[in-house]
Amino acid sequence: MASEEGQVISCHSVDEWKQHFQKGVESKKLVVVDFTASWCGPCRFIAPILVEIAKKTPHVIFLKVDVDELKTVAQEFEVEAMPTFLFIKEGKVVDKVVGARKEELQEKVDKHGVLTA
Amino acid sequence: MAVSGFEGFEKRLELNFSGDDPAAGMGLRRLDFFSLEKVLHAVQCTVVSAVGNRYFDSYVLSESSLFVYPNKIIIKTCGTTQLLKSVRPLVDYAITMGLTLCGCRYTRGSFIFPEAQPYPHTSFKDEVVYLEENLPKHLSCKKASVMNSKSCYKWHVFTACDEVHMVAMEDMHSDDLYTVEICMTELDRVLAKKFFRRFNDGKTGDSAGKEMTEITGIRDVNRTALICDYAFDPCGYSMNGLDGNRYSTVHVTPEDGFSYASFECVGSFYDDREEFFAVLQKVVKIFRPAALSVSTTCPTGHEIWRGVAKAIEPLGMRLRSRAADEFPAAGTVVSQTFTTRRK
Repeated sequence: MASEEGQVISCHSVDEWKQHFQKGVESKKLVVVDFTASWCGPCRFIAPILVEIAKKTPHVIFLKVDVDELKTVAQEFEVEAMPTFLFIKEGKVVDKVVGARKEELQEKVDKHGVLTA
Repeated sequence: MAVSGFEGFEKRLELNFSGDDPAAGMGLRRLDFFSLEKVLHAVQCTVVSAVGNRYFDSYVLSESSLFVYPNKIIIKTCGTTQLLKSVRPLVDYAITMGLTLCGCRYTRGSFIFPEAQPYPHTSFKDEVVYLEENLPKHLSCKKASVMNSKSCYKWHVFTACDEVHMVAMEDMHSDDLYTVEICMTELDRVLAKKFFRRFNDGKTGDSAGKEMTEITGIRDVNRTALICDYAFDPCGYSMNGLDGNRYSTVHVTPEDGFSYASFECVGSFYDDREEFFAVLQKVVKIFRPAALSVSTTCPTGHEIWRGVAKAIEPLGMRLRSRAADEFPAAGTVVSQTFTTRRK
């Protein structure tokens, strides 16, 4: 949906997650998933930075998953530290950033978010 | 020594809290970032990168590190930061979260450039007076001491706690944990060069940091720890390690003339002692300093300082001084200084 471009979309249920994940697979767009926890300070630090990155890269899908809300998804991707950013292309994890590392995050969004024709 | 330069020696502050926690066990970790930023602004430093696990949050700062546990905060800052200015705001924020300060520990080595320090870091006496004025009055059990005072690697310690914790120490920290603070000066020049960025390397501070962690051997000190690292431009390095509920942290000022590196970590007295000695040896080999101090803080009755000299001396260094003392709530602090045999 065009209205979601440039935003960080929060997934509040496993169904929502699956829907957005599937959209990523079908559109062949890069999907960046931010695994966060409400009690984790570093997640609060990076949140506004991620919002800015999302605004500037509308051709990338940005999703946010709370590890307590979507426990099974966090476990599936073996998330142990927060924030963890997974870079997913066509359903496969191609890269990740563990920690609120803004330079590395921007670098990898640029690297993997190459515009596809 | 250079006439002036960056002050690598850190000031370290540890604040322990207790109280009803309405935030379901996460305590201080619930502190919003805006408030945390205000505290760091008072200290004159900023967050560079951060990561948290189930047990605690860690932050790499522009001038060292910050660790936030549910009921404990550890801030370590170098340069000319005014670390003690964080005390009041942190205590006040904690109160709004239903937490009360029950213990405080402040430690530091000797500044390479003491004249460059702003108040209240102008002298240990000024720091102690400032702490006494800014800590809540119920922290009535206090002690300040300069250990190894005749050596050039003095270790300054101040601790305070309330009377309840003076009697029952279990709340202050897990029974079996101790901290080790290592300060190193006059680093081997060739080894220190590894902490300089390569000119126009096209890397981010994050990725250059990751590379430095690998090539310097810091990655091998504890392979199970999650590391959050950063390489400053044109030189300098910081990292925080997370291993379960234990943190570790390394900071390097590599410039010749005032080179400095610190290593700090948490251990348990149920750990294999040989592993602890191996860590000490790895750290010394990474930096090969001309002088170093190893200070351990441990609940009374556990002599984890034993064997440190035996582990370090084979690396060409000699024990020059050792001091031990007891501090309210902190337990036993032992500080040992070593210099290379050539001195």
